[in-house]
Amino acid sequence: MICQNCNKNEANMHMKRIINGRAAEVHLCSDCARSLGYGEAFSGFGLGLGELFGELLSKGEGSANTGLHCHGCGKTFDEIVSDGKMGCAECYGVFYDKLLPSLRRIHGKATHVGTKPVKNESISYDSQIAELKQKLAVAVEEQNFELAAQIRDEINEISQKGGNA
Amino acid sequence: MCAKWYLGTGAQNDVVINTSIHLARNVRNYPFPARLSLPEKLKVNSVIKTAADSIGEYNFNYYEMKTLSQSEVVSLAERHLVSPEFASSRDGRALLLTEDEAVSIMLNEEDHIRLQVMYAGFALDEAYRTANNIDKELSQKLDFAFDDKLGYLTQDPTALGTGMKASVVLHLPALVSTSQITKLITTVSKLGLSLRGSYGEGAAAKGDMFRLSNTITLGISERAAIENLKSIALQIAAQERTAREEIFKAPVTEDRIYRAYGVLKYARLIDTNEFMELISLVRLGAVKGIINMDCAQIEALMIHMQPATISLSVDRPLDRIERDKLRALLVRRALN
Repeated sequence: MICQNCNKNEANMHMKRIINGRAAEVHLCSDCARSLGYGEAFSGFGLGLGELFGELLSKGEGSANTGLHCHGCGKTFDEIVSDGKMGCAECYGVFYDKLLPSLRRIHGKATHVGTKPVKNESISYDSQIAELKQKLAVAVEEQNFELAAQIRDEINEISQKGGNA
Repeated sequence: MCAKWYLGTGAQNDVVINTSIHLARNVRNYPFPARLSLPEKLKVNSVIKTAADSIGEYNFNYYEMKTLSQSEVVSLAERHLVSPEFASSRDGRALLLTEDEAVSIMLNEEDHIRLQVMYAGFALDEAYRTANNIDKELSQKLDFAFDDKLGYLTQDPTALGTGMKASVVLHLPALVSTSQITKLITTVSKLGLSLRGSYGEGAAAKGDMFRLSNTITLGISERAAIENLKSIALQIAAQERTAREEIFKAPVTEDRIYRAYGVLKYARLIDTNEFMELISLVRLGAVKGIINMDCAQIEALMIHMQPATISLSVDRPLDRIERDKLRALLVRRALN
């Protein structure tokens, strides 16, 4: 039997699930089963790649048992590897270096360029500049030099306010 | 009671059923939900509720999940107002919900705040505008866990950055029947998006309903992620329309639609799977102008005929046969 998800590999995991009150049979290869989060009672709604992340971490750097733990919530790096979940906001600071390679692998990049809380808006302009630089690169690539010049002016303006261009 | 969001008819509704924006946020100085004790969770709930109540524009009803019955909770999940995960464990969790059910905020799901805005049809810009407004209001009242480099900090690092998941639900019967869907699923995954069954998963998607969502949240702005999703969704919709033209050339398509309509109109017992399969064909016929039914009515029916939601319409638990009987009756009424 072929895996229902990738339709390529041989399905070697066969499960019965209750979906919307009815039993449904699911046949998956082990890779798809893992990436779809089977093995947990519920999956498939949230941003839901948590288990996958733990696995990535365990293969990545810093998988050695370091005993390092978060001073905010006490969670250890090994615990994060095992459940793919951060314990609190401070975990990100404590384990930043260990997380970085996996974050890059998942998202391609590791620097936020989107909105920020209203309270933080005045504090930093760096991510606005990062976003504008992305747009600038696109504009240059498309040879839209008028737009590129506009964006460059915007970057200068923000960096004068205190951002790091 | 005011009209629910799904009773409206949205743009591109021949293919696009609805649009939703999810934002994940956490309150600084509290550990993420998995590491909160029950009293701490209740405290977080009350802090967020107070902030949400002060937003003048929206009136939220507040539900402690523990106070709801099992059917009520499952029905919320069937209506996509809460996640199945949220429904599975209710202690210390709460829900803020507007009367029209367009805005829901799950408290202490994967994150302290999971804000969802859902509109009928293709409405990514509108849904994002609403989500962003509420987010801005909340961020003035609450101190969100945020880092300049990593963006909004989330319990699950795969949501890091914008914490935003934007989705459109697409009705793709022709791409399914012409076997193009699996290739499409693989293709979109290379573009930082995912395409999955909206009711049921993978190739077993019920009613040919698929959810297209962004998967990348770090290093891409909300605006760019939405534009990306928008362009892919429109391309898929265009492919679906082409495939529909193709399948309608064969007389069997029209025949299948009329047969589906006939069964729904006269069946005495109908289970969820069969219902979803048939209503998908009827929807295809309605859009084509063969069947005289409007899409909003069909969408509402799809939601109302899910097992727990149907059980809620009567005041007692139903076994499977009773439920299938009631479903057949309600469908007959809706169609006649």
